[in-house]
This record gives sequence, structure tokens and C-alpha cells, in this order.
Amino acid sequence: MSRGRGPWVATLALLPPEAAIGAAFLLLIPLISLHRVTDFMIFCIFVLSFDLLYGYMGRLSFGHLLFLGTGAYSAGLFIKYASPNPLLGVLAGILGAGLLGVLLGPAAVRATGACFALMNLAFNHIGFFLVLSPLRAVTNGEDGFGIRARALWLFDPAGKTSMFLLVLGSLLLVFYLLRRLTASPFGILIRSIKEDETRVRFLGYNTHLFKWLTYVIAGTLAGLAGTLGALNYSFVNPNVMDVQGNVGVVFACLIGGAGSLYGALAGGVAYMLISNFLAIYIQRWEIFLGLSLLVIVFRFRRGLWGSVQSTLEYARRFEEVRRPVAGEGA
Amino acid sequence: MIYTLLYGLSMGAILYFISVGLSLTFGTMRVINFAHTLTYTIGVYMLITFMAALQGSFLPAAVLAILAVIPVSYLMERFIIRRLYGESLDYTFIATFAITLIGVDTIKWIWGVNPYPLSDPLGSYLRVLDFTFPIYRIIIFLVAIALFVALELFFKKTIVGKIVVAALEDKDGVKCLGVKVDKYFSLMFILGSALAGLGGVLYAPISAVHPYMGLSVLLLAFAVVIVGGMGNPRGTFLSAFGLGMVMSITARYWSQGAETMVFIVMAIVLMFRPIDI
Repeated sequence: MSRGRGPWVATLALLPPEAAIGAAFLLLIPLISLHRVTDFMIFCIFVLSFDLLYGYMGRLSFGHLLFLGTGAYSAGLFIKYASPNPLLGVLAGILGAGLLGVLLGPAAVRATGACFALMNLAFNHIGFFLVLSPLRAVTNGEDGFGIRARALWLFDPAGKTSMFLLVLGSLLLVFYLLRRLTASPFGILIRSIKEDETRVRFLGYNTHLFKWLTYVIAGTLAGLAGTLGALNYSFVNPNVMDVQGNVGVVFACLIGGAGSLYGALAGGVAYMLISNFLAIYIQRWEIFLGLSLLVIVFRFRRGLWGSVQSTLEYARRFEEVRRPVAGEGA
Repeated sequence: MIYTLLYGLSMGAILYFISVGLSLTFGTMRVINFAHTLTYTIGVYMLITFMAALQGSFLPAAVLAILAVIPVSYLMERFIIRRLYGESLDYTFIATFAITLIGVDTIKWIWGVNPYPLSDPLGSYLRVLDFTFPIYRIIIFLVAIALFVALELFFKKTIVGKIVVAALEDKDGVKCLGVKVDKYFSLMFILGSALAGLGGVLYAPISAVHPYMGLSVLLLAFAVVIVGGMGNPRGTFLSAFGLGMVMSITARYWSQGAETMVFIVMAIVLMFRPIDI
């Protein structure tokens, strides 16, 4: 590919895709504010975790925010009551969400399709209610509570730059891990479960275990997103896991193109751009969003990344067809 | 305790109106319609408009509001739902949710975001022994019973109803007999939407009216349909009243927990009797 284009192209091609993603988010900073980009990246982590569950394993959940909220609350409560160390807080958030995934997994992953979606929705509703009312004594109900994490050496959770770097690092790490995971035999297996679970079971795999594991991983990563969000705002309240917020992540995943990590990133950024800026320019933005979603469903199924991919594919084929002809001419 | 019973019965009746259409749409078309409660909201806003136009008389305004829902639901079926036959859950979800977004925003455009106050149109109470019952809630319950009986008769006695029941069992079989099933399905869709509109019209005076009122009820309607069995009108009836009672009994002892208890029941039902789509 790099033939005749100079060595720098070859060097660029050797860089992992994480470098390009990091650069892209750095380029976004001058266009929109630093704080917003941090927000975007947190949402992207969340969309990535959702995409693992939905795009790769084919289980659409309407309650994925439960894990985000659990992460946020475990981190917040840990920092408030146990230790103000922010990194331990992140760890607590991840563990909390992962533990919840372990607990709910066996019940949830037995279901498919609408049953899975609605069961998660029910769990989410119950979780939302729990932090809102019965656990009011610890979670302070609908008012939520502030999180004051202590600065740790150079890392200061109150500072925008260090928070940005932490989130960027987490996003790239998550992306790298998911890239490796989805390319591994495990990733192939969960994609096979999406296609036809019965056959995978027929081959002798314990699909229940794999689905459970994927559910836990997706929950853990969503918990990470929640933790980072809580640290970023130094605040957590039940709205982070409001049931109706789940719509956003489903949309983001589909706008970008489900079943692709790049698609999840594209969708996350696109959704955040729409929800942050569209309302400023178009007064009736919900109508606009609704109409564009109808267009996506009926005309634009593969999402943003899907169309980029098909364009690339087209260009590659075009070049392949052209090359022998050019050779003959010479 | 007797108030709790009455509250549960009227809540169950409302849930029944709203969810029966959802259940039928799913059973016949295999489409999970997230825009179902949009017609509920539209019905309520139509009621407000007509009541203002008719100087506050409730009954004619209610009838007009339900009739006004019908063309809206026809357009929804004709241009969106019909294209979703045989689609997977995610695209159905997106498309029908997009309808909700458009509809809710249109409502905000026309009527504004502020909640409307509506009061009990009867405002009178029935006094039996030492108890006073709001007559309105009793009427809601009686309407639900009448509707259930009417639907049962409709499915048993009329040819349209029989076709729909047969199509619930085996769509292709009915098609092979030369019946244009889709026509009946769209009829069912419109009927279901009109019933949701009826639910809205009846419930609005005893609840708050705002553009997003449909979304909160939608989740409850899903719970009812799942507990009762998708595409099972009789099961929907029983589960609507069952969950209505669950809500009112929970609310009596623990008012914040009422809705959540419904979802706990739904999660338990899903765990032990998963639906397969």
C-alpha cells in the first residue's frame, strides 16, 4: 500500500489505531471545549461497552445505564465514606458494576430479544428506585451528593486537564482491550452466539458462561464510564441512571453502526454533537432527530461507520480493477 | 382498605385500555410498538382542546378526542408500522421511538410544555354506609368491564374478530385462505390506538397532563403485556387488574414503591417464563 508514497505513510500505518483516535479527540478540543470533549469520551466508553453487548453479542439492552449508575454510585460512595483517593474510587466503581453484572447475569442472559431488553429495563427501573428512595440514607435521594476526591500527586480530579488525560487514557485502554477481545477466539464466539446460539452450543461450548462473561465485561466497562462521569462532575444523582436515558445509547450505537468499535466511537461523538448542539440551532430538534432516525432505519442501516466502510471497500475495488489495466498500458 | 381496592380496580382498568392495543399489535404483527402510548397522549390533548371548544362538557369532548386519534394512528400504521413487519427488534424500536419523538415534539409545538390541570369531570361521590367513593373511578372500572365483554364478543362472534384470532394463531394459514390479513391487522392497530386514546381520556382527569405522560405509562403497559402474555387479550385483562391491585396495595403501604413493584413482578415473570421473539 505504501509503495511510492514515502516512508512516513508506512510509519503511520504501523501506528496502532489508538493513536489516530487519541489524535482525533485532541483535534476536537479546539472545536469544542475541553470539558465537552471529556464528556464525549466518557459517553464513547459507555457506547463501546453497549456495543460489545448489542453489536457483538446481539443482545439489545434497555437498561444498560444501570451499570453506569452503579459505577458512579459505588465510586462516589467509596470516595465519600472510605477513602478520597480517586484511583481507588475508580477501582471501586468498576468492581461495583462488575459485581452487579455477576449477580444479574445468570438471570438476564438466559433471555433473548425483547425479553432481554425488557428484563434489563426492569432491573434498571428497580436500581433507579433503590438509590432514589430506600437507600436514601446513604445516597441522599434525588438530590445526590458531591464527590470530593483528593488530588493524587500530579493527578487532580478537580482539574480539567488531568481529568481529560485520565478519560482519554481510559478510552484508549478500553478501545485497545475491546479491539483485542473482539478479534480473539472469544470475540468470534460471541459473534457466533449472535448469529446462531444453538449451533454454538451444538459445537460443545457452554454459551451461557460466555454470555454471562460478556455481560459482566460490558457492565464493568459501563461502570468505568459512570465512575469517570461522576469524577468529572464531582457529583452524582439518580438521573445518571434514569431509565429513559437508555434511548441515547441505543441511538448512538445505531447511528454509528452496531457491531464495530469504530462505529461505536463515531456514533458516540455524533450523538453527543447532536444532543449538545442541535438544540441550539434547531428549535424543534426532537422532530429533526425523529425524522433522521426514520431515515436511518429505512435507508441507512449500516450507520456512519458502515457507510465509511462501504466507501473504502468501493475505492479499494476500484483500484484493484484499475491496476492491471494500468500495468498493461505500461 | 376498600379505597385501595377501588384505586386498584380503576388503575387496572386504565392499564387494560392502554395495554390491550399493545398486546394485539404484538400478537398480530409481531411489532413491538414503542409509539403506542403516543396516541394516549394525543387523545388527552385532543380532549383538552375539544373541552375548551365545547365549554367544558366532558362526554362529547371525550368521544371526539377518541375519534380524532383514529386518523393519526392510521397514518402511523400506513407509513411506518407496515414497513416494520418481520424486522428485528432494534429497528422496530428505533422507528417507533422516532415516531414518539416526532409526536411528543409536535405536541410541545402545538400545546406547549406546561402541564394542564384537568379536574374530575363528575366531582360527585357515592356514599355507601360510611364510605364515600368517587363515582368517576367506579365508572372507569365499569367501562373496562364493558370493553372486555365487547372485545370477547368481537373476537368470538364477528367475522373480523375470528379472522384476527385465527391470524394470532397462524398468520400464514389465514393468508392461504385468501384473506388479506394486513388489512385486518391495520384495523386492529387502529382499534388498539383508539383504546389507548380512551385510556388517556379517562385517566387524564385523575392524573397530570404533560407531553411526556405517555412514556411513563408505556413502561407500565409493557409490564402488563409481558405478565399477561403477548397477543393474549384475556391474559392482558387479568394482568392489568392484577398489576393495578399490586400498584394500589404497594402504594397504600409505601407510596414511592408502587411502580417499581410492577417491574419487580415483571422481572420475576420474565425469569420464570421467558417470552421468545
